[in-house]
Amino acid sequence: MESTRRITIDPVTRLEGHGKIEIFLNDQGQVERAYFQVPELRGFEKFAQGRPAEDMPQITSRICGVCPTAHHMASTKALDALYQVTPPPAARKIRELVYSAFFVEDHALHFYFLGGPDFVVGPEAPPSERNVLGVIAKVGVAAGQKVISMRRKLRELMALAAGKAAHPVFGLPGGVTKPLRQEDASRFREVAAEAVDFACFTMDLFEQVVLANSGYVDLVLSDPFTHRTYCMGLVDENNHVNFYDGSIRVMGPNLHEWARFQPGDYRDHLAEHTEPWSYMKFCYLKEVGWKGFVDGEDSGVYSVAPLARLNVADGMATPLAHEAYLKFHGVLGGRPVHHTLGNHWARVVEMLYAAERMKELADDPELTDPDVRILPTAIPREGVGVVEAPRGTLFHHYRTDERGIITSANLIVATQNNAARIAMSIEKAAKKLITGGSVPDGILNKIEMAFRAYDPCLGCATHSLPGSMPLLVHVRNARGASMFVLRRDSDGTIRRE
Amino acid sequence: MEPSAGNETAHTRVLGLGNDLLADDAFGILVARRVERLLPRQIEIVCSSAAGFSLMDDLLGASNLIVVDTIVTGAARPGTIHVFDLDRMTTSPGVAPHFLGLLEVLAIGRRLHLNVPKKVVVIAVEAADCTSIGGAMHSDVRSAIAEAVGLVRSFVADGCHKCGTA
Repeated sequence: MESTRRITIDPVTRLEGHGKIEIFLNDQGQVERAYFQVPELRGFEKFAQGRPAEDMPQITSRICGVCPTAHHMASTKALDALYQVTPPPAARKIRELVYSAFFVEDHALHFYFLGGPDFVVGPEAPPSERNVLGVIAKVGVAAGQKVISMRRKLRELMALAAGKAAHPVFGLPGGVTKPLRQEDASRFREVAAEAVDFACFTMDLFEQVVLANSGYVDLVLSDPFTHRTYCMGLVDENNHVNFYDGSIRVMGPNLHEWARFQPGDYRDHLAEHTEPWSYMKFCYLKEVGWKGFVDGEDSGVYSVAPLARLNVADGMATPLAHEAYLKFHGVLGGRPVHHTLGNHWARVVEMLYAAERMKELADDPELTDPDVRILPTAIPREGVGVVEAPRGTLFHHYRTDERGIITSANLIVATQNNAARIAMSIEKAAKKLITGGSVPDGILNKIEMAFRAYDPCLGCATHSLPGSMPLLVHVRNARGASMFVLRRDSDGTIRRE
Repeated sequence: MEPSAGNETAHTRVLGLGNDLLADDAFGILVARRVERLLPRQIEIVCSSAAGFSLMDDLLGASNLIVVDTIVTGAARPGTIHVFDLDRMTTSPGVAPHFLGLLEVLAIGRRLHLNVPKKVVVIAVEAADCTSIGGAMHSDVRSAIAEAVGLVRSFVADGCHKCGTA
């Protein structure tokens, strides 16, 4: 590393997260390595130790301001495993119903407000338009209001069943806190039907705005945004996508089933690699091994999140989503799709599935069965809980003493699973844009596109306020001396100082 | 935590943003809890650890909003209080892509004709550490609680008229 120059893209802000990008240049001014680092919360393990395991669904959901529902659910499932108790059918259905509503909401917000600037507005749009207000200008105020109204209804439902929408409190080992009342179930039925319409509306919009534009499709299919890696995700017994439960399936870059295992066995299959230049841990497939930040069959790098889920699954469990799944793979050259930007489309396919699944569950007469809890009686020891978070597979793993007091706790969050591939995507975009030491201003937008498709979770402590500007690229020489600063201000203009 | 959207009566809300599990990030919550005992009953106090678009729930239904939060500018020592007038900040033409914070959520709310506050002022403390779970607050950040409480009270006392001039 002695002869490399180091560039850091360091957002001073902490508003919607503050991912940090570092780019190392060699003596020839070419990109040697680039990587993405999420702000890591320190001290979780220590904080968890000595606390009752039953507090974990509340504690873990309060740590993250972005996907509290996913943490609450993974944690609750870890408690089921810890106490060796299977929730009654109604409890399982209530959990999955709430989780499906959460997925519709989360995917919609990403599509319209976070991913929108790249595709709905377009990567080449001027900075003054390439933002959420530009998205509203393009889709119209009425469509924007539709998103807000859908979100409000979904959150009202979540509050109805889960206690609070912001931080659910309904999950208990062996079930949920309360049964769903008939009148609540009928409200779910009404809103679920609207959610299916809303997802179809969003799919139509995607087709009009993105698929009808050959420039966008070419960009999705282009080499800078393509990586042939393994994929991982939860599937049900028919190998269909399931967000709440199932087996973990890993498919190879050429679509052979590499592994199918139970969540509790994750340590046999996944391992973590560390690099001297990053505090981040990069997950990889243990049996394939760590071969560096490279594509292919021999490299243990794998990906999670919507695109990976649509690759590992043989189909979707609901009719409209399955139709959309077939079209997705058809247009993007067949399964598996290795084009990172395909995540945006995959997210809309999944939104449709979540809405349809919500409707199925809402229509299920068993949903309102009053039997929603089996009291745990076994002596706790160890439990693993896994769900698909919107951003990918999420693991909670606890060990306790015989009183249920945590002795060790481990989380693998979605973005950790994706970390190696995100680094590869950033590196590929940076290599394309930086030649002979010249660092063009436009690098920020293109690199952002490369990692934003994964919807990386930057959720830690992200509600805080911004400093003066959202992104900062710091170019340093090998000894760390500052060479220049490239900054993008909150109005989108980029300056060099 | 889940304010109603349809409240037409003009009112002031104090919004403490933060996370009391994350060291200095507890600041906004602690200030909001402290002022709750000192302010007239009609002033609404909300504590929230929402992020991204979820901040919308904390904005709807208030006409004047006093936000207390943490900030990391790196340019001031921990415990320094910054005051921002968001109304003035949103007059800049645009926001960055993929960037959903208070400003952007407020801008979306206004563009979509939602019932978001007309006046927003932000009191933010320079934080030293917001990423240590169960971490202790920096002593200078803790000491700044009294100053922030005083600022909230003065903004409330004059009906937020000074919100833009602090």
